[in-house]
Amino acid sequence: MSFETKSKAERIFFREAIARAVSEEMIRDDRLVLIGQDVGAFGGSYKEFVGLFDRFGPSRVRDTPVAEASMVGLGVGLAAAGMRAIVSVTYMDFLMLGLDPLVNYAAKARFKTAGQITAPLVVKTTSGARGQGVAHSQCIEAWLMAVPGLRVVSPSNPADAYGLMKSAIRSDGPVLYIDHKRLFPIAGELSDQSDAVPIGVAKTSRHGQHVTITAHSYMVRVALEAAERLAATGISSEVIDLRSLSPLDIDAIVKSVARTGALVTLEEGQLTCGIGAEIAYQVRERIDGVRIARVGAKAAPVSSNPILESACLPDAVRLLESVKDVLNTR
Amino acid sequence: MIYALTVPTGIEDVEDVRVLEWAKQIGDEFGKGDLLVELETHKALVEIRAGRPAVLRKILCGAGSWQAVGKPLAILSDDTTESLPDSAFDLPGLAVDFEVS
Repeated sequence: MSFETKSKAERIFFREAIARAVSEEMIRDDRLVLIGQDVGAFGGSYKEFVGLFDRFGPSRVRDTPVAEASMVGLGVGLAAAGMRAIVSVTYMDFLMLGLDPLVNYAAKARFKTAGQITAPLVVKTTSGARGQGVAHSQCIEAWLMAVPGLRVVSPSNPADAYGLMKSAIRSDGPVLYIDHKRLFPIAGELSDQSDAVPIGVAKTSRHGQHVTITAHSYMVRVALEAAERLAATGISSEVIDLRSLSPLDIDAIVKSVARTGALVTLEEGQLTCGIGAEIAYQVRERIDGVRIARVGAKAAPVSSNPILESACLPDAVRLLESVKDVLNTR
Repeated sequence: MIYALTVPTGIEDVEDVRVLEWAKQIGDEFGKGDLLVELETHKALVEIRAGRPAVLRKILCGAGSWQAVGKPLAILSDDTTESLPDSAFDLPGLAVDFEVS
């Protein structure tokens, strides 16, 4: 008799990882509801909620008008009143309208009431550029990292989308879950042993010796592409997938940089007060003499013109040139 | 002549597809315009229709399996007696029409 369990891996689309996580958690906890634009019969703007409306019905999977402040406000109210809510805001740009209930109420509820009221709320949104112009392309993750009481997670692959969504749903405080438009075409392995991915734990996506590259979401793929090309020139890069932006797994980053001696941060958003600025300073507080560079978008709005869009955004070439500069090998 | 049926390039924004269902079975003859296979992308269904008559000889990617854009899904031939090569990768592609919905 054997007690060994063999894990079985299945390849699924990024969107299916989200639907699976939400569906399993809705079965697990009947207080959980999903609200947002097109989350119902349409199945989500990226088809990431397909099947949920049929399975759980309109009382738990509910379409809303285009009114982000009210949607997030409703979600916070539901959560504070003892339900658990996922609010889907299709484009992160329009989360700006919902920041008051998210920042001033959800993130503060536990502090204001000495723990009597919590807000177990997930705001799920999609960032990043893909041909949609100035107000449908922004990555404002860094703004939200500066809100005490709010956790921010951002997966780069289907398994992490599944695992981080599960952790976000089970969290007792508000969590901002951010995916990226360019992640939806990808597929990846999900094991039947897959489970919640703890919030606040980074993952080393590639091991290396000469430089540490940090990234999250779609930029992890850009970092891995640059690392592959750098390897051909004899430069060995370690790529850290942050997975959680708040809390930031600074220990994992410091451990890697202490070994490589060089750090290049990569983000699709702006560099000013950005994720890279935060990581760079925190690393510098802990280790002396580290060579550091930041790579991010140019300080310009993202155009819907594809040539101007790609001129603004960081890519593998800009990253690898920055790595070579830091290592003085250009 | 032997052909490969490949995942058509030019489906917008797609890297990998999943085979949903084969409309033909091995040995089936088909004509121009016949539905051969339905593929699933991250956001759509793609119907692949034959651009010319041939015979379905070997399915390389059954229902539920994955293939990358440009890679072979099946081997086809003009008649049933032609012997098949070991690999489908160097075969000429069969012309297809496809419809994304």
